[in-house]
Amino acid sequence: MLVLTRKAGEGIIIGDDIKIKIVEIKGGGIRIGIDAPKERKIYRQEVYDRITEENKTAIQWDMDALNSLSANLSKEKKDK
Amino acid sequence: MRTINTRFGEVEYDPDNLLHFPAGMIGFPTLHDFIVMPNKKEGPLFWIQSADDPAIAFVITDPSNFFLDYQAEPDESIKNALKISDNDDCYVLSVVTVPKDQQITLNLVAPIFFSPKTNRAIQVILENTEYKPKTPLPA
Repeated sequence: MLVLTRKAGEGIIIGDDIKIKIVEIKGGGIRIGIDAPKERKIYRQEVYDRITEENKTAIQWDMDALNSLSANLSKEKKDK
Repeated sequence: MRTINTRFGEVEYDPDNLLHFPAGMIGFPTLHDFIVMPNKKEGPLFWIQSADDPAIAFVITDPSNFFLDYQAEPDESIKNALKISDNDDCYVLSVVTVPKDQQITLNLVAPIFFSPKTNRAIQVILENTEYKPKTPLPA
């Protein structure tokens, strides 16, 4: 991993189209400003990691479970 | 037609009729193409099978089957990714987690937006939302 030292007000440019600026350093936190093209999704790491983890859980299913679930769900619907 | 030997057996599919994820699913950035599998059983659940990795498949549903007031609107960046304009249809789908006890949960915080016109899809993470990645079905 590339590690750079920056002060408040300084920045980093990634490629041609992503600019990162250290806005403020206060207490234990650092406020970061990011300029990037709109189609680039920007997420907090822990939020992204949580969804990755959920997707990795979601691929662990089997066909028997899906079939029996589908049978139960469509029965519930009819009962309503 | 092509075939892929998935963990559920051999699946035949039309390569022109794949659901294309330009950015992959979250955590699976290299898996761009999925086969939409017709549901053998009745009911709101269906599944998508990766055409790139035979081991990867997701159970999917329309969340409004369970959560009538669920709201997720595609923003400009999503419409760009799907290559659609404001007048085009865009559907919202949720990934379903099926644990061993079959008490399924829906990932309402990371919906999939899907365009039937372009066959493109994208999974995004909603911001400033109360929705949870493991939402049980309403009682």
